Amino acid sequence: MSTRDLVLTALFAAIIVALGLLPPIPLGFIPVPITAQSLGVMMAGVVLGARRGAIAVLIVLLLVAIGLPVLSGGRGGLAIFASPTAGFLIGWIFAAFVTGYLSERLINDRQSGLVQTVSFFLTAMVGGIVVLYAFGITYLATVAGLGFPKAFVGSMAFVPGDVIKAFVAALLGRAVMVGYPLLPARA
Amino acid sequence: MQSLYVEGNSAMHRLSPRVKLLSLAIFSIVLFITGNLVLLSLAVLAAAILYRMVGLPIGAALRRLRPIFLTIAVVALFNLLFNPWQQALVPPLRLTALMLLAAAVTATTSITAFIDEVTALARPLERTGRVRADDIGLALGLVLRFVPEIVDRYQAIREAHRARGLKVRPASLLAPLIILTLKDADNIAAAIDARGIRRHGS
Repeated sequence: MSTRDLVLTALFAAIIVALGLLPPIPLGFIPVPITAQSLGVMMAGVVLGARRGAIAVLIVLLLVAIGLPVLSGGRGGLAIFASPTAGFLIGWIFAAFVTGYLSERLINDRQSGLVQTVSFFLTAMVGGIVVLYAFGITYLATVAGLGFPKAFVGSMAFVPGDVIKAFVAALLGRAVMVGYPLLPARA
Repeated sequence: MQSLYVEGNSAMHRLSPRVKLLSLAIFSIVLFITGNLVLLSLAVLAAAILYRMVGLPIGAALRRLRPIFLTIAVVALFNLLFNPWQQALVPPLRLTALMLLAAAVTATTSITAFIDEVTALARPLERTGRVRADDIGLALGLVLRFVPEIVDRYQAIREAHRARGLKVRPASLLAPLIILTLKDADNIAAAIDARGIRRHGS
C-alpha cells in the first residue's frame, strides 16, 4: 500500500469518526435528523473504492476495539461487539467493500452526471443496505437468538433512513468524482 | 479524545494485554458453547465482579454500558414474548456476561498497550506481503491527529454557508469537507516519506 493510500484511508476514517461527533444534520423533507456515521461507510465505498474504503472502515472499528469512544453518542470499547446489533458493525467493512467494488466497475468519468449519480445510488443501496443488513440480520437472528423472521422485520424499520443515506452518498460520490477523482483506483 | 482506559493498579490492570484478550476470546467461546442457565448466570456474576474491580465509580461504570445494555434488553424482551423463558434468557445472559468482561478489558488496557498488541498480532501477516504491521499504529495515530481538524473544518464550512445565506444540506456541506480533507493526502504522504517513517515507502 502506498503512503498516499495509507493517508487517504486514515483521513477517511477520521472523517467517519468526525461524523459521529458532529451534531446530526437535519434533512429538509423528513423530521428525523440523520446520524451520519453509516452514511460515512457508504461514502467510503463510493469515494475510495473497495480496498481503501474497507480499510478505512476497518481502522474505525480498530479504534473502537482499542477503547476509543469514536462511534456516535460516544460509544466505544470492546463491549460494543457484545451488542445484539454488532453484526451491523462488522457488516460495515463488507458494505464499504461491496459499494466500492461495484463503484469501481460501474462508474467512469466518461459517463454523464446523471448516469454516475444513479449508478452510485445503486451501488450504495446494494453495499450499504443489502450486504449490511445480511450481516446485521444474521447476527441478530443467531447470536441474539431472535430468529430470522423477527430479526428481518425488526430491521426493516431502519431501511427508509438508509435509502436516504444512499441517495446522499450518491450525490457526494458524484461531487467528489468531479472535484477530486480517486476512482477508478490506480493501484 | 478521552479514551475509555481507567488509570489504576487492580489485578486486571497488571495482567498482560495478551492474556486479557486471550481470556476474553476463550470466555466468549465458552459462553456460546453452553446453554446452561446456571452456568451463564455465574458467568454474568463473575464478569460483573471483575468489572467492578476496575475501580470506576459505579455510576460511571453503568453509564458506559447503558446503550449496549438497552439493546440487549430490547432483544431479550422480544425473545421473552415469543419463546419459552428458559430458551429466551440464554442469549441475553451470554451477551451481558460478554459485555461486562469486554468492558473490564477495555477499562484496564491502555491505548498504547492495545496498539502494541494489534501490531504484534499483525506481524505474522507481513509474510503475505500485503500488510505492514507498523502501518497500523501510523494509521491510528493519523486518525487521532486529524479528527479535531476535520471537526473545525466542518464548522468553518457551516459558517460559510450561514454567511452566504445558504441552506445547510448534507450534500453541500459534506462534499467540500471530503474534497478539502482528502486533498491534504498528497502533502501528508510526502511529509511522511520525507521523514522516512515507513523506511522504504513504495
